[in-house]
Amino acid sequence: MIQPQTHLNVADNSGARELMCIRIIGASNRRYAHIGDVIVAVIKEAVPNMPLEKSEIVRAVIVRTCKELKRDSGMIIRYDDNAAVVIDQEGNPKGTRIFGAIPRELRQFNFTKIVSLAPEVL
Amino acid sequence: MVLKTELCRFSGAKIYPGRGIRFIRSDSQVFLFVNSKCKRYFHNRLRPAKLTWTAVYRKQHKKDIAAETVKKRRRTTKKPYSRSIVGATLEVIQKKRAEKPEVRDAAREAALREIKERIKKTKDEKKAKKAEVMSKTKTSKGGNVPKGAVPKGPKLGGGGGKR
Repeated sequence: MIQPQTHLNVADNSGARELMCIRIIGASNRRYAHIGDVIVAVIKEAVPNMPLEKSEIVRAVIVRTCKELKRDSGMIIRYDDNAAVVIDQEGNPKGTRIFGAIPRELRQFNFTKIVSLAPEVL
Repeated sequence: MVLKTELCRFSGAKIYPGRGIRFIRSDSQVFLFVNSKCKRYFHNRLRPAKLTWTAVYRKQHKKDIAAETVKKRRRTTKKPYSRSIVGATLEVIQKKRAEKPEVRDAAREAALREIKERIKKTKDEKKAKKAEVMSKTKTSKGGNVPKGAVPKGPKLGGGGGKR
Protein backbone atom coordinates (compact mmCIF):
# COMPACT_ATOMS: atom_id res chain seq x y z
CA MET A 1 0.00 0.00 0.00
CA ILE A 2 2.03 2.86 -1.34
CA GLN A 3 0.47 6.30 -1.29
CA PRO A 4 1.85 9.80 -1.79
CA GLN A 5 4.42 10.66 0.89
CA THR A 6 5.46 7.02 1.29
CA HIS A 7 9.21 6.53 1.33
CA LEU A 8 10.59 3.57 -0.61
CA ASN A 9 13.95 1.90 -0.91
CA VAL A 10 15.53 1.60 -4.32
CA ALA A 11 16.21 -1.94 -5.51
CA ASP A 12 18.63 -1.12 -8.33
CA ASN A 13 21.92 0.67 -9.06
CA SER A 14 20.42 3.69 -10.81
CA GLY A 15 21.95 6.06 -8.27
CA ALA A 16 18.89 6.85 -6.18
CA ARG A 17 18.85 5.51 -2.66
CA GLU A 18 15.47 6.56 -1.36
CA LEU A 19 12.32 7.66 -3.11
CA MET A 20 9.15 9.37 -1.96
CA CYS A 21 5.94 8.65 -3.79
CA ILE A 22 4.14 11.76 -4.98
CA ARG A 23 1.59 10.32 -7.40
CA ILE A 24 0.21 6.98 -8.52
CA ILE A 25 -0.19 6.55 -12.24
CA GLY A 26 -3.20 4.74 -13.64
CA ALA A 27 -6.33 6.49 -12.45
CA SER A 28 -7.30 9.95 -11.37
CA ASN A 29 -8.18 9.24 -7.76
CA ARG A 30 -6.23 6.16 -6.95
CA ARG A 31 -5.44 5.78 -3.26
CA TYR A 32 -2.84 3.06 -3.07
CA ALA A 33 -0.28 1.46 -5.30
CA HIS A 34 0.76 -2.21 -5.05
CA ILE A 35 3.38 -4.44 -6.60
CA GLY A 36 3.69 -3.78 -10.34
CA ASP A 37 2.16 -0.30 -10.23
CA VAL A 38 4.01 2.72 -11.58
CA ILE A 39 4.39 5.77 -9.39
CA VAL A 40 5.88 9.21 -9.77
CA ALA A 41 8.48 9.76 -7.09
CA VAL A 42 10.98 12.26 -5.94
CA ILE A 43 14.49 11.23 -5.02
CA LYS A 44 15.05 11.89 -1.36
CA GLU A 45 18.52 10.45 -1.12
CA ALA A 46 21.00 9.76 -3.91
CA VAL A 47 24.40 8.16 -4.32
CA PRO A 48 27.03 10.86 -5.07
CA ASN A 49 28.53 11.16 -8.57
CA MET A 50 25.68 9.36 -10.29
CA PRO A 51 23.35 10.61 -13.06
CA LEU A 52 20.36 10.78 -10.71
CA GLU A 53 20.37 13.52 -8.11
CA LYS A 54 18.45 14.45 -5.04
CA SER A 55 15.01 16.09 -5.52
CA GLU A 56 14.80 14.86 -9.10
CA ILE A 57 11.40 13.56 -10.22
CA VAL A 58 11.39 10.06 -11.68
CA ARG A 59 9.04 7.21 -12.48
CA ALA A 60 9.40 3.97 -10.60
CA VAL A 61 7.73 0.59 -10.46
CA ILE A 62 7.01 -1.00 -7.10
CA VAL A 63 8.69 -4.39 -6.66
CA ARG A 64 8.30 -5.15 -2.96
CA THR A 65 5.71 -4.16 -0.38
CA CYS A 66 5.20 -4.81 3.28
CA LYS A 67 1.54 -5.29 2.49
CA GLU A 68 0.80 -8.90 1.60
CA LEU A 69 0.53 -9.92 -2.02
CA LYS A 70 -2.12 -12.55 -2.67
CA ARG A 71 -1.91 -14.96 -5.56
CA ASP A 72 -4.74 -16.93 -7.14
CA SER A 73 -3.22 -20.13 -5.80
CA GLY A 74 -3.79 -18.84 -2.27
CA MET A 75 -0.14 -18.09 -1.67
CA ILE A 76 0.49 -14.96 0.37
CA ILE A 77 3.82 -13.18 0.03
CA ARG A 78 5.01 -10.45 2.27
CA TYR A 79 8.30 -8.57 2.18
CA ASP A 80 10.36 -6.77 4.73
CA ASP A 81 10.40 -3.37 3.01
CA ASN A 82 8.79 -1.20 0.37
CA ALA A 83 11.05 -1.03 -2.65
CA ALA A 84 10.87 0.31 -6.19
CA VAL A 85 12.97 0.28 -9.35
CA VAL A 86 13.54 3.52 -11.22
CA ILE A 87 12.29 3.28 -14.82
CA ASP A 88 12.06 5.54 -17.86
CA GLN A 89 8.89 6.39 -19.83
CA GLU A 90 9.06 3.10 -21.78
CA GLY A 91 9.29 0.99 -18.66
CA ASN A 92 12.95 -0.01 -18.95
CA PRO A 93 15.01 0.18 -15.76
CA LYS A 94 17.54 3.00 -15.53
CA GLY A 95 19.99 0.90 -13.60
CA THR A 96 21.78 -2.21 -14.82
CA ARG A 97 21.36 -4.40 -11.76
CA ILE A 98 18.47 -5.35 -9.49
CA PHE A 99 18.88 -6.21 -5.81
CA GLY A 100 16.83 -8.54 -3.68
CA ALA A 101 13.99 -10.93 -4.34
CA ILE A 102 11.30 -9.92 -6.82
CA PRO A 103 7.83 -11.41 -7.36
CA ARG A 104 6.82 -13.14 -10.56
CA GLU A 105 3.85 -10.82 -11.03
CA LEU A 106 6.08 -8.14 -12.58
CA ARG A 107 6.37 -10.22 -15.73
CA GLN A 108 2.62 -9.94 -16.27
CA PHE A 109 2.92 -6.15 -16.09
CA ASN A 110 5.53 -6.23 -18.88
CA PHE A 111 8.56 -5.54 -16.74
CA THR A 112 10.38 -8.55 -18.15
CA LYS A 113 13.72 -6.74 -18.14
CA ILE A 114 13.53 -6.24 -14.37
CA VAL A 115 12.52 -9.85 -13.81
CA SER A 116 15.39 -11.13 -15.92
CA LEU A 117 17.90 -8.97 -14.06
CA ALA A 118 16.66 -10.01 -10.63
CA PRO A 119 18.85 -12.39 -8.62
CA GLU A 120 15.83 -14.20 -7.24
CA VAL A 121 12.29 -14.45 -8.57
CA LEU A 122 9.64 -15.73 -6.19
CA MET B 1 -3.34 -37.01 -5.75
CA VAL B 2 -0.61 -36.04 -3.36
CA LEU B 3 -0.81 -32.55 -1.95
CA LYS B 4 2.49 -30.81 -1.69
CA THR B 5 2.74 -29.61 1.88
CA GLU B 6 5.36 -27.39 3.44
CA LEU B 7 6.45 -26.96 7.02
CA CYS B 8 5.96 -23.92 9.22
CA ARG B 9 9.26 -22.30 10.10
CA PHE B 10 8.09 -21.51 13.58
CA SER B 11 5.80 -24.30 14.79
CA GLY B 12 6.83 -27.05 12.36
CA ALA B 13 3.20 -27.68 11.41
CA LYS B 14 2.19 -28.87 7.96
CA ILE B 15 1.06 -26.15 5.56
CA TYR B 16 -1.36 -27.24 2.87
CA PRO B 17 -1.63 -25.28 -0.37
CA GLY B 18 -3.71 -22.16 0.00
CA ARG B 19 -2.78 -21.70 3.64
CA GLY B 20 0.01 -19.87 5.36
CA ILE B 21 1.95 -16.68 4.85
CA ARG B 22 5.29 -16.42 3.12
CA PHE B 23 7.54 -13.77 4.60
CA ILE B 24 10.64 -12.73 2.69
CA ARG B 25 13.30 -10.98 4.69
CA SER B 26 15.58 -8.35 3.21
CA ASP B 27 18.35 -10.94 2.84
CA SER B 28 15.84 -12.80 0.60
CA GLN B 29 15.44 -15.64 3.07
CA VAL B 30 11.97 -17.14 2.92
CA PHE B 31 9.97 -17.92 6.06
CA LEU B 32 6.70 -19.79 6.01
CA PHE B 33 4.15 -19.47 8.75
CA VAL B 34 1.06 -21.59 9.16
CA ASN B 35 -1.00 -18.87 10.84
CA SER B 36 -0.86 -15.37 12.20
CA LYS B 37 0.04 -16.66 15.66
CA CYS B 38 3.28 -18.10 14.34
CA LYS B 39 3.91 -15.00 12.27
CA ARG B 40 3.33 -12.67 15.18
CA TYR B 41 5.49 -14.68 17.56
CA PHE B 42 8.26 -14.76 14.99
CA HIS B 43 8.16 -11.02 14.52
CA ASN B 44 8.05 -10.57 18.29
CA ARG B 45 11.26 -12.62 18.32
CA LEU B 46 9.91 -15.37 20.51
CA ARG B 47 11.99 -18.51 20.40
CA PRO B 48 10.03 -21.59 19.24
CA ALA B 49 12.29 -23.77 21.39
CA LYS B 50 10.77 -22.20 24.49
CA LEU B 51 7.13 -22.76 23.54
CA THR B 52 5.81 -26.19 24.42
CA TRP B 53 3.47 -26.54 21.44
CA THR B 54 6.12 -26.25 18.72
CA ALA B 55 7.83 -29.16 17.00
CA VAL B 56 11.25 -27.79 17.97
CA TYR B 57 10.42 -27.93 21.66
CA ARG B 58 8.96 -31.42 21.41
CA LYS B 59 12.05 -32.65 19.62
CA GLN B 60 14.35 -30.99 22.12
CA HIS B 61 12.55 -32.50 25.10
CA LYS B 62 12.18 -35.92 23.44
CA LYS B 63 8.41 -35.98 23.63
CA ASP B 64 7.78 -38.13 20.57
CA ILE B 65 10.74 -40.47 21.02
CA ALA B 66 8.76 -43.58 22.11
CA ALA B 67 6.96 -43.90 18.80
CA GLU B 68 10.18 -43.41 16.88
CA THR B 69 12.06 -46.21 18.65
CA VAL B 70 9.23 -48.69 18.08
CA LYS B 71 9.28 -47.93 14.39
CA LYS B 72 13.03 -48.39 14.16
CA ARG B 73 13.09 -51.75 15.89
CA ARG B 74 10.46 -53.18 13.62
CA ARG B 75 12.34 -52.12 10.55
CA THR B 76 15.61 -53.70 11.67
CA THR B 77 14.09 -57.08 12.54
CA LYS B 78 12.15 -57.34 9.32
CA LYS B 79 15.22 -57.46 7.12
CA PRO B 80 15.97 -60.92 5.58
CA TYR B 81 19.11 -61.92 3.69
CA SER B 82 18.23 -60.78 0.26
CA ARG B 83 21.56 -59.99 -1.34
CA SER B 84 24.86 -61.70 -2.01
CA ILE B 85 27.77 -61.10 0.33
CA VAL B 86 31.43 -61.15 -0.69
CA GLY B 87 32.18 -64.86 -1.12
CA ALA B 88 28.64 -66.23 -1.10
CA THR B 89 26.16 -65.60 -3.86
CA LEU B 90 22.46 -65.20 -3.18
CA GLU B 91 21.71 -68.76 -4.35
CA VAL B 92 24.16 -70.32 -1.95
CA ILE B 93 22.74 -68.37 0.95
CA GLN B 94 19.19 -69.32 0.03
CA LYS B 95 20.15 -73.01 -0.21
CA LYS B 96 21.76 -72.90 3.19
CA ARG B 97 18.72 -71.20 4.64
CA ALA B 98 16.41 -73.80 3.10
CA GLU B 99 18.40 -76.73 4.60
CA LYS B 100 16.88 -78.49 7.60
CA PRO B 101 18.62 -78.09 10.94
CA GLU B 102 19.38 -81.83 11.19
CA VAL B 103 21.27 -81.83 7.93
CA ARG B 104 23.24 -78.82 9.03
CA ASP B 105 24.04 -80.45 12.38
CA ALA B 106 25.18 -83.62 10.65
CA ALA B 107 27.42 -81.64 8.36
CA ARG B 108 28.88 -79.80 11.28
CA GLU B 109 29.55 -83.01 13.19
CA ALA B 110 31.23 -84.58 10.19
CA ALA B 111 33.44 -81.58 9.82
CA LEU B 112 34.35 -81.69 13.50
CA ARG B 113 35.19 -85.38 13.28
CA GLU B 114 37.42 -84.76 10.33
CA ILE B 115 39.26 -82.02 12.15
CA LYS B 116 39.72 -84.24 15.19
CA GLU B 117 41.10 -87.01 13.06
CA ARG B 118 43.50 -84.71 11.40
CA ILE B 119 44.73 -83.50 14.75
CA LYS B 120 45.16 -87.10 15.89
CA LYS B 121 47.17 -87.89 12.81
CA THR B 122 49.51 -85.03 13.31
CA LYS B 123 49.87 -85.98 16.95
CA ASP B 124 50.75 -89.54 16.01
CA GLU B 125 53.31 -88.35 13.55
CA LYS B 126 54.86 -86.11 16.14
CA LYS B 127 54.97 -88.96 18.60
CA ALA B 128 56.65 -91.19 16.09
CA LYS B 129 59.18 -88.56 15.34
CA LYS B 130 59.92 -88.07 18.97
CA ALA B 131 60.37 -91.75 19.47
CA GLU B 132 62.72 -91.88 16.55
CA VAL B 133 64.79 -89.01 17.81
CA MET B 134 64.91 -90.59 21.24
CA SER B 135 66.04 -93.88 19.83
CA LYS B 136 68.75 -92.22 17.77
CA THR B 137 70.09 -90.34 20.73
CA LYS B 138 69.98 -93.50 22.79
CA THR B 139 71.97 -95.43 20.19
CA SER B 140 74.59 -92.77 19.91
CA LYS B 141 74.91 -92.42 23.65
CA GLY B 142 75.69 -95.98 24.46
CA GLY B 143 75.20 -99.60 23.61
CA ASN B 144 73.01 -100.35 26.59
CA VAL B 145 69.83 -100.95 24.66
CA PRO B 146 70.91 -101.48 21.08
CA LYS B 147 68.96 -104.67 20.58
CA GLY B 148 65.60 -103.01 21.17
CA ALA B 149 66.36 -99.93 19.12
CA VAL B 150 68.25 -101.31 16.18
CA PRO B 151 65.51 -103.38 14.51
CA LYS B 152 63.19 -100.40 14.58
CA GLY B 153 65.89 -98.00 13.46
CA PRO B 154 66.01 -98.50 9.68
CA LYS B 155 62.28 -98.22 9.24
CA LEU B 156 61.93 -94.99 11.11
CA GLY B 157 65.30 -93.72 9.98
CA GLY B 158 64.23 -94.10 6.36
CA GLY B 159 61.36 -91.77 6.97
CA GLY B 160 63.65 -89.31 8.63
CA GLY B 161 66.10 -89.53 5.80
CA LYS B 162 63.49 -88.63 3.27
CA ARG B 163 62.74 -85.43 5.04
